[in-house]
Amino acid sequence: MTLRDDFQPIWKLLLKWLWLSFVVFVLMAPVFYTMYISFNKLGFGAKIYTFTFQWYINVFSDKQLLTALGWTMILAGITLPIVIPFGLLSAKFYKKSHNKVWIVFVLLSPLFVPADILGSALLVFFKNLNKIFTFLSDHTGLYFLETWFDLGIMTAVIGLIVYTLPYVFVVIMITMARYRPEQTEAARDLGATAWRAFWEIEFPQIRAGVFSACAFVVILTFNEYTRTSLLKGGFDTFTSVLISQMLNTGMSEESYAMASIVSLVAIIIVAVILISTSISKEKLEKQTRRINEPAIK
Amino acid sequence: MVVFFVIPLLLTVVWSVFERTMFWMEPGFTLFSYENFFFSARLENFVVSMLHSSVSVFFSFLIGFPIAVFIRRRVAKIAQHRVMLLFILPFMVSEIIRIFALRPILSRNGLINNFLMDFNFIDSPISAFVFTPTGVVIGEIVSFLPFMIFSTFLALEAIPNYVFEVCADLGVNRRRMFKDILLPLAAPGLFAGGVFIFVNGIGIALIPTILGGPGSVNAGLIATQAIIALDFPLAMAVSAIMMFTLMGLLFIGHKLFNLTKLLEPIS
Repeated sequence: MTLRDDFQPIWKLLLKWLWLSFVVFVLMAPVFYTMYISFNKLGFGAKIYTFTFQWYINVFSDKQLLTALGWTMILAGITLPIVIPFGLLSAKFYKKSHNKVWIVFVLLSPLFVPADILGSALLVFFKNLNKIFTFLSDHTGLYFLETWFDLGIMTAVIGLIVYTLPYVFVVIMITMARYRPEQTEAARDLGATAWRAFWEIEFPQIRAGVFSACAFVVILTFNEYTRTSLLKGGFDTFTSVLISQMLNTGMSEESYAMASIVSLVAIIIVAVILISTSISKEKLEKQTRRINEPAIK
Repeated sequence: MVVFFVIPLLLTVVWSVFERTMFWMEPGFTLFSYENFFFSARLENFVVSMLHSSVSVFFSFLIGFPIAVFIRRRVAKIAQHRVMLLFILPFMVSEIIRIFALRPILSRNGLINNFLMDFNFIDSPISAFVFTPTGVVIGEIVSFLPFMIFSTFLALEAIPNYVFEVCADLGVNRRRMFKDILLPLAAPGLFAGGVFIFVNGIGIALIPTILGGPGSVNAGLIATQAIIALDFPLAMAVSAIMMFTLMGLLFIGHKLFNLTKLLEPIS
């Protein structure tokens, strides 16, 4: 804060905070309004508001939805252990490399490519790969190759990895920025293997970032619709059921309840990350203060 | 990423010149898909969606830039990332849910119209909020604004504090501060945020589908409709056009502002 800012009238500062809070409120308003409607017995547009959990009970007794929830969890469960090591390796490779432009381009441009465009390109890519693999299996006798790139879990997972890797990369990079690489060098000088230096020295310090990245992957997998719906093949995910209900029958009270569940889970996960990182940060600061205190006062 | 991202996107150019068959496509060379795109109403829809996206970029800049500057300059260093998380929170809630949920808010008997009528600001409900281009622009801003704030903040974070202190000591006024310091230094972030909103505005099909009404079409919607109609070469031509638009913009941005600067604070 500059000298001149110190003398800024308090009302101006308050006004700016008010504007910031208003924008956050507007961005979150659709989510909060969905939650509000989801507890109304009479649904959207009713003059009278009667609180109920009925729509949530309906959602959780819907077998199709529970199956879709199961498939979504399977997708998240497979994507997570693949994308997190990829993200870690990419971040380490980025730090060491000299020509960073291409790495940034390859790793971050999926963020910019719209879901429908990437989904369409991957769909046609997998259909072509499938034809090549079917041809190979027919001519080599390796029949297990035939179904490798059939639209299904594997193609959906690949789509999710391409989608989530940029987020994992950025989150891990943010936490890695605070790590001093001299510590790894010291560990290696003392005879530790590269793996041991990473696992016992570096990983504990970037653990918070890795866990946050895991949470983001789960949230993004639950939220993702376009790419997954194009690449998933026969099964349904939570959002694909939700969207098909919304598009075919309009927003039913159950749709509001489903949307609220997905949103609430995401909000809770982000809140847990926020609280746990601030607690661990405070702990670390206390520790640093204690180490820095002079031994003799 | 090279195998499952770069190659499929590059191959869209090859597939876009293939011949269309009944249910698939076969190798060949024809520019029919491009002709189908450029000499039909699709081009007009594409240009209109570009216009809508440009308006969204402009409003996102107007709303997002002051917020990013405020967080960087007025919020204590230790709390800056926590305040940024407030904007990441809506980003973490499914975009589809946020867009769908805008319908009951913006519709004729929705939250905003009810509020305006209850307080006697209007006599009859405004129907222009949804199923119109206004609805599309509102949807794009609500969906993508956090990215503009986040990327601008990232660019501003790289500016050392003494730059602001020197400006204050030299008595630089607000206009010059904005024109000569903040705008040029935040340019990589603003550009990245702008490109993100622009490209996603013309590429995400759900926003015009849900909020734009019957006449509202963008490139994403053309591509998905082409896939539903089993016209794969057309879908690939649209994807290739989108890819070239994106790569062209990113290339220009990188040449002008060096976009890798954005990652400097975290690398």
